[in-house]
This record gives sequence, structure tokens and C-alpha cells, in this order.
Amino acid sequence: MKRIADIPGFPPLMACIGLLVFWDLVARYLAISGLPPAWDALKEVPVILADPEQLLNILSSIRRMVIGFFAALVFAIPVGLLMGRSRAVAAFFNPLLMTIYPVPKAALMPIIMLWLGVGDVSKILVIFLGVSLPVIYHSYQGARAVEQKMLWSAAAMGMGAPARLLRIVLPAALPEIMVGCRTGLVLALITMVTSEMIARQSGVGNILFNSLDLAQYGLVYATILIIGVMGFVLDVLFEKLREAVAGWAQPVHQIAVGSA
Amino acid sequence: MADSNPVIDIESLSKTFGTRRGTSHLAIADISLKVGDGEFVSILGPSGCGKSTLLYIVGGFEAPSTGAVLVDGKPVAGPGPDRGPVFQEFALFPWKTVLGNVMYGLLEQGVDRGQATDRARELLAMVHLSAYGNFYPKELSGGMKQRVAIARTLAYRPKILLMDEPFGALDAHTRTRLQNDLLDIWERDRKTVMFVTHSVEEAVFLSDRVAVMTRSPGRIKEIIPIDLPRPRKRAELLVNRRYQDYVVEIERLMELPPEEAQAS
Repeated sequence: MKRIADIPGFPPLMACIGLLVFWDLVARYLAISGLPPAWDALKEVPVILADPEQLLNILSSIRRMVIGFFAALVFAIPVGLLMGRSRAVAAFFNPLLMTIYPVPKAALMPIIMLWLGVGDVSKILVIFLGVSLPVIYHSYQGARAVEQKMLWSAAAMGMGAPARLLRIVLPAALPEIMVGCRTGLVLALITMVTSEMIARQSGVGNILFNSLDLAQYGLVYATILIIGVMGFVLDVLFEKLREAVAGWAQPVHQIAVGSA
Repeated sequence: MADSNPVIDIESLSKTFGTRRGTSHLAIADISLKVGDGEFVSILGPSGCGKSTLLYIVGGFEAPSTGAVLVDGKPVAGPGPDRGPVFQEFALFPWKTVLGNVMYGLLEQGVDRGQATDRARELLAMVHLSAYGNFYPKELSGGMKQRVAIARTLAYRPKILLMDEPFGALDAHTRTRLQNDLLDIWERDRKTVMFVTHSVEEAVFLSDRVAVMTRSPGRIKEIIPIDLPRPRKRAELLVNRRYQDYVVEIERLMELPPEEAQAS
């Protein structure tokens, strides 16, 4: 007998609907001006998505996020792997990373803006920084955990050290690297919005904070919903990618969101 | 056989490790051993006696502190495809299928894909895993993983097999089966084998000679030639008086504290 809770996607859907109903009722009961009922916010979502200017804003956000994210991977994965396999490299980068890690990347935004202006470059750099740290950290952990005997087995086949880094350490660390990328993806979304909050010019953050200034709270919450859904969709897509490239490993992390 | 042109010539080898407290620990001391072509030699000793370290130095994975290892008269400078390792931890490549693992060393040496596939299938048949070519290592039991690891190493035709407690992580039944299979395989092409183990029965069953080690520092106490007919069958050996005598003799050797052994 199949229970209704076993239908894939059904429990999270019910949770979303439940949350929206709760929000709607609370907002109507409390009647605060800054908290519109859920229904009023939902009505604004198609309005934003139908407006070409707003769509361009969203697309430019996504473009910056994608560039920052992939630039970070290209930089962070090799650094993390080298750190994991060489004590000298780890000793060199570790103090630097430990210093940068607790600093909110958006806090660097004003300084970066002084150097590079309020344009794309500054925002992409902030996203790059936000994504790099978890990816470096997880690549480092992944590379460190690679079994010595696995590397020896490859060495006995005649494989040199540089080739081992690329063909043994990289694939062996891949499941852990993917955990870092998943965290990085969420951070990319967060830094994307915060960078636009500080350097307002275009983007999703721009819609959000302009609407806030104009007290268009329906629009504010609709934008938050759109960002939330973007995060959810990205996470689901990422999980599919993870299964495709690292499905040979036991699942490392099982988080309810996106794994259903 | 071992004395004329040894394949492996270990000359007064020592290995010292630095410890965290800054002191140094002598793991193995002054080990000399010659292994002849096609000979099956076991290194037997209690855990922590440095027997694996000895094997890793022969493999070129670790460097000796003093002394040298010659393979075919040439000093070992690093790992090479003439010495194929098999580890207790299997060390399979988990992102490759079983077939991919067995082919890996061949492709690494420039064998073309078609030939490598044929050779890998041949080896999978030899270790009774023909049906598992498309499985991933995580889907296999420990015994199956070790069969794959053996096939992967045999595939690129190393002259010497270096086996580091290969059956140590397996249950008794699987262990027995793999010992039998290993002997079957070895009977066919008589590779030179260095086999590290802490099981007396295993060493006697498999080997031409057993080098018994003592611990702290690891030294070779005695080398016992095992004069039992081949091909060996486990069931026959178990009731063989000479086999039993070897086991008892070696058990006694291992019980003695090192001071006493040196005095005798």
C-alpha cells in the first residue's frame, strides 16, 4: 500500500504550502505594514517576471554569479588540492585563509568598490571570494584524505607525481569537492544579493532594496521568494550533477533540500 | 636458487623514523635478504615489527635510511611497474569500474584500449569475477575487492609481486579461498613474490621460504625453507606431518623473546 507521504516531492510541497498559509494568516491577523500577506507577495511574482527590465536585472545577477562561481572553482580547486598534498603549500595558504574566513565578504565590498568601482568586476570579485573559501577548504580536506596506498598503486603503474595529482587526487577528492561546491553555490547566491545591496546598479538585490525604499513590500517579498526558488532550483540541478560525476561514491551529505 | 643472481637483493637495510617528540625510532635494522627468480618468500612477524616498511622500501614507496635494495642488480630509486603492490586496504580506484581498475595500469603503459580490455577480461576470469566488470568497487565485498586488486596488479605484468598482508582484512573463509586462488595463479607463471603476513599457517602454506622477524627494531631472526611438495592442497597439508612441524617450529620461534633468540 502506497502512502501519500511516499509520493516524491509531496512532503516538501505540503511544507511550502503550509508555510505560505501560516504566513498569510499571521500577516492578516497582525496587520503590520512591513509584512504583507503571502498572497499579496505571490501576486507580485508574475509582475516581476513579466517586466523585461526586471528580467534583465535578474539575468545580469545570474550572469555575475555564474562568472564568479566558476572563476572561484578554477582557482580554489587546484589550490585546495595542492594544499592537501603539500605541507609547504598548506603552511603558506593556511594563515591567509584563517584570516579571511570569518570576515563577511560583503564587508569587503566598500573597499573593493574603492579599487574597482561599482560595476560588475567588484561584484564578481566578492562572489569569487565567497565561493573560493568553502571550495578550497573541502578540496583541501578531500585531497588530504586520499589513501596513500591508492597513490602508491598508481606510482607503481609508472604514473608521475603531477599526473597523480590530476588523475588520482582530483577524482578521489571529487565527492568532497562537490560538497564544497554545493556550499559555494549557496554562498554565491548570498554574496550576489549582498553585493548588489551595497553597490546598487542592477540585479536582484537592486529590485529588492529599491522596492524596500519605496515601501512596496509585496514586491520585496516577491523578490525574496524568487531568490529562494532560484536557490532551490540551483541546488536540485547541482544534486543531479553530483550524482552524474560522483555517483560512484557513497552519498556524503544527505540534506532534505534538493535531495528529494 | 636464491643465491645465484637474486631478483631482489636487500643489503643491510635500516629505516629510522622521526617521532613527534623529536626522537628517532629505529623501525628495521640491518636486514639482508635475497629472493630468487620465481621464489615465493614470506616475511612473517608480529605487528609493528616493520615488515610492511621493508616491503614499502622494496617497492620504492619509502626510502631506506641506510643500506640498499637491488632489483635485477639495479638499485631501487622509486616505484616502478616491475614491482606490483597488493595492499591490505585494496586501494582500488573507486571512481572506476572493476574493468576500468584492471585496465588502468595497461592504459598507463600505453597499451591500446582494445588490447587492454581483452587482457583485463582475461584477468577477471582468472580471479572469477567475469560477471562484475561493470560494477563499482563500493558494490563489492572485501574478498571481491582484493581479487580485483590482484587482477589490477597482475594485468601490467610486474616481474615481482609485493603483497602487504593482502588477506588480513578478510574473514577466515574468504581468506582461505583467496590463498588457494593465489597459489593457483602463482603456479601458472611463477612470479617472484614477497608476501608480508602475521599468520604462521598462511606463510607456511604459501611460501618457499619464510623469513621470521622480531620487533623493535625489526630484524630477520631466521629464514626457514619450506620443503613441501607443490602444487599444494590445503586439505592435504593440514594433515601433513611436516606442515604441522613447520607451523610449530615457527610458532616457537615467534614466542621467544629476542634476547633469548640471539643467545641461542
